[in-house]
Amino acid sequence: MELDFLATVLLSSLSSASILLIATLGLAVVYGLMGVINLAHGEFLMVGAYSALTATQIGLPYPLAIPFAVAMTMLIGATVELLIIRKLYGRIFDTMLATWGLGMVFNQAAVLIFGTVSPGIGMPQWNFQIGDYSLAFYPIAMIFVAAVMLAFVYFLMTHTVYGMKARASIQEPQMAQAIGIDSSRVNTMTFAIGCGLAGFAGAILLPIIPATPSMGLFFAVKGFLTVVVAGPVALTGSAITALGLGGGASVTASFMTSVVGDVFFFLMTALLLWLYPLGISANWRRKL
Amino acid sequence: MKNLLGTVSLVSAMTLTSTAALAEVKVGAIFDLTGGLNIYGIQQDNALDLAIASVNAAGGVNGEEVVVVGYDAQSELSKYTQFAQTAVLRDGIAAMFAGLTSSSREAIRPIFREANIPYFYSSLYEGGACDKQTFVTGSSASQQLSVLMEWAVENYGPRIYIMAPDYNFGTISGHWVHEYAKQLGAEVVGEDYLALSVTDYAPTIQKIQASNPDLVVALPVGAAQTGFLEQFAAAGLKDSIGVVSTNYGSGNQQVVVSPQAGEGLVSAMGYFPSVESDANAEFLAAWEEAYGTDTPVVAGAVDVWNAVHLWAAAANKAGTTDADEVIAALESGLTFEAPNGTVTLEPGSHHLRQDIYIARGDANNGFEIIATFEDSEPTYENEVCNLIDNPDAAEHFTPEG
Repeated sequence: MELDFLATVLLSSLSSASILLIATLGLAVVYGLMGVINLAHGEFLMVGAYSALTATQIGLPYPLAIPFAVAMTMLIGATVELLIIRKLYGRIFDTMLATWGLGMVFNQAAVLIFGTVSPGIGMPQWNFQIGDYSLAFYPIAMIFVAAVMLAFVYFLMTHTVYGMKARASIQEPQMAQAIGIDSSRVNTMTFAIGCGLAGFAGAILLPIIPATPSMGLFFAVKGFLTVVVAGPVALTGSAITALGLGGGASVTASFMTSVVGDVFFFLMTALLLWLYPLGISANWRRKL
Repeated sequence: MKNLLGTVSLVSAMTLTSTAALAEVKVGAIFDLTGGLNIYGIQQDNALDLAIASVNAAGGVNGEEVVVVGYDAQSELSKYTQFAQTAVLRDGIAAMFAGLTSSSREAIRPIFREANIPYFYSSLYEGGACDKQTFVTGSSASQQLSVLMEWAVENYGPRIYIMAPDYNFGTISGHWVHEYAKQLGAEVVGEDYLALSVTDYAPTIQKIQASNPDLVVALPVGAAQTGFLEQFAAAGLKDSIGVVSTNYGSGNQQVVVSPQAGEGLVSAMGYFPSVESDANAEFLAAWEEAYGTDTPVVAGAVDVWNAVHLWAAAANKAGTTDADEVIAALESGLTFEAPNGTVTLEPGSHHLRQDIYIARGDANNGFEIIATFEDSEPTYENEVCNLIDNPDAAEHFTPEG
């Protein structure tokens, strides 16, 4: 095996893992800090993608379309939390069912608003050469984006007042309330942030994955499994799981076939859940 | 919106039945109006409504008005069988127009066979369906690939890489690529069959570069696989490696893909909106009046249009909508001046002899037709399936090995 092939496999597998992490982080935050599995996460991603697409269509440059998408999805996320999620605290299966249904509603709403095909925005046609292999620049840049995103969420949770309140609300809910933290407001914020992260993912991945009403489904399964395998330590756990499962699947796909890559992903998931039923991070001392 | 229209047509169908002032013929329709497959289903259903309206405007079938009983299969297989049963048992339909995926066709084909109702399947597909009651108006994989591969090898070179979805449409199409490559003295240097949910094509793109092909036969199905074309172009490979397809454009992928990625991609199908003929101009004018110009018409819509007109012609010829006589009329070598050229229903195989067009993506998310192969035969289906000599055949033929 030539060195240049190995180098491209390494880089693009890292980029695959990063794309998975970008798409999953919002789900991980909501699950880790609220104990809510948001099955409409993929649809929030789709809403982000369409928001960014619409923004570029009305003339906003793409870099400005991304914050627009984040703002839209946060707003919708906060509304959903107030109207639906709030009523279902502690009922994890009911929440899953409600968000699953919500996802269907979003999906069909997108069909009605945008139709079934929308023009893509295309990927920057930059590429670079490693030996005999040429690689597109944009997907590789996602490695950097994922790192920044992870650092941002870590900072938000550890170095801001909101972050401390959010962690307090989930770790010691009664104590948090006793010292005057309005945990329901904190939860609304957390859910909105989770949705905003999904919106960011949809917008930043738009050049790679074109906006379609059903795009949420592509990430629903793998994102969900990543979060479940990661377990209670949402951030570090998800990052490591995305790297291991997503990256591993991509390496496998490069040397064998994409189908074997998928088999690797799901077999590893099953194996890890068998070894760590509560997720790989169940016994970690870290909290984030 | 389409749901509403569906309901309205259902309701109007019911009111018409209850008043029963006019003699009428009911036909069934099951398409995916919602869910992931509706990029095809909505247009198929629109084409059906348009075709029925045009048949009725021309005096209906044997002087009777044709009424549609429509269902939305919601991109779910189980809904197909459920609605097919309902249509047969309750609605009393004279013909059925339904289905997009091969699995949906195979799920409901036995129901119409059992009920002896002509069933029209209108989508490009991997080929090989053979059943007395089933009529296929889309093109088959061998029909498209036979002309495309010859063109592609001549224009790009003999080293071929296959990128296809990992189910029967992809694998059978892959088989035909191997077969034609052998006949043309070309070589398949690599292949990758991908799940429909794959969004990351970096591994495929590396393997393509590692095997150094002259052309890639890309058969992306669904929204996620459209991303392959974008990623392939962004890696800078489009200029050195040709990309040909038998389904690029069938779901208006050329609109989704950016112009940079879509320009120069080659597709071979039974219809492109840029076909130049009077029949197509008329058809497009009627379509645009009814549905506007937002999305280009896909091949599957024209396949439905042709199916309805062939059925109506057969029923008029037979002078009745009785299934046996209509099927006999359909097997009489019917031709129809379709938007995509003259089409002929092959009596033996129940497939269409039709023009196959090779088109190249232009810089404005459209297609420019670069070659027309008139009156292309469904070779494989004609070879394996003869329902005149063998009317009891009910098979889905797949090529050996």
